[in-house]
Amino acid sequence: MATTTATITINSTDLLTDELSLTSTATLTTAGTSTGVTQTSGLARKTTSAAAAAAIQANVLYRAGDYTTDKANKVYIKNTSTTAAEFFTVHIDQEEIGRLYAGDWMFMPWNATSGTKRVGTVTIAATWAAGDTWEFDGITMTAANSTVADIAAQIDALNYPNWITTYVATEATIIFTERYASSASYAALVTADGTLNTNGNGTADVSSAAVGSKSESDITIRPSVHTAMTYETLLIHE
Amino acid sequence: MATTTAAVTLTSDLLSDNMSVSASTTCMKAGTTADGLDGMEYGYLDLVTGDEYDLIGATPTASKASKLYLKNHSTDETYFIAITQNSQAIGKLYGGDWMFIPADFHDAAGDIAITANGGTNKICYALFHEGTTLVAS
Repeated sequence: MATTTATITINSTDLLTDELSLTSTATLTTAGTSTGVTQTSGLARKTTSAAAAAAIQANVLYRAGDYTTDKANKVYIKNTSTTAAEFFTVHIDQEEIGRLYAGDWMFMPWNATSGTKRVGTVTIAATWAAGDTWEFDGITMTAANSTVADIAAQIDALNYPNWITTYVATEATIIFTERYASSASYAALVTADGTLNTNGNGTADVSSAAVGSKSESDITIRPSVHTAMTYETLLIHE
Repeated sequence: MATTTAAVTLTSDLLSDNMSVSASTTCMKAGTTADGLDGMEYGYLDLVTGDEYDLIGATPTASKASKLYLKNHSTDETYFIAITQNSQAIGKLYGGDWMFIPADFHDAAGDIAITANGGTNKICYALFHEGTTLVAS
């Protein structure tokens, strides 16, 4: 079993009339057990910058949809800046947690409460011909023949930037599931989201199974200045 | 000025090579290099299951560089405290876990609230801040 420990030491000789010295070590385990956590993002380091102050954008550190909800995940973030006035503002979803000023670090548990993803089923039907195309999510499938099951298999074999597919061999339907729950997920997937170009009367109708809901705890950080600022981060998760 | 340092060390053998991350910061007032945080609240208490409680009773100055340390001293690994801020779920501290976060209490709703689960949890907390406003009785 992997053993991961987190130790904090807080010291001050002059904050109180007596010396303050606090040390605590936690062995990081999976939720409700004594079994050590086994997964990590690894330590990452990134420098942010923007063309102007008005162009500053928040950076997504971790998307809740990538992790299991309600586990004993832990997040470490450090602002490596040495300019005292520079800070990163840390948010979970829309809630501002706090500001990490130059040199500051934080270590917190993270629920990773994700939303639900849109799901839709595409049904390949009627008369298709080799060379017919169907475009979705910026990706174009060109039919190799007129067999609907083969066309469905071709659609499944492509890589979509925002969707994953599920397909059962010999069937004419493909299930599309959104990679991330997001604020864009309020509209159901519909037939018009695809672009069909067929010489016959082939169809690629979409039926929606789930509208989806927005992710509720993505972690983002926003730099206070547009000039270069660097942060380091580490996620330990189940 | 008061000088308070907070250091963390993370070590693990869950990768193919050993991992060790260390950081230390001197807790300064917002945007300064010469003036350390000079206020502190500290508590150690039993937290019974059921209701949600605001952890910080007073209102530290908003949008500053306050730091909150919170530890669950429960020895039962199934016990945990759920932490929320302004109804936003942050995470759960299981028995033995701790956290250290910047807490800027951006408005009156930005209090950090905790709820015990599993049984009565023993918690310890320390808030380092640069000013506070007591709530009128």
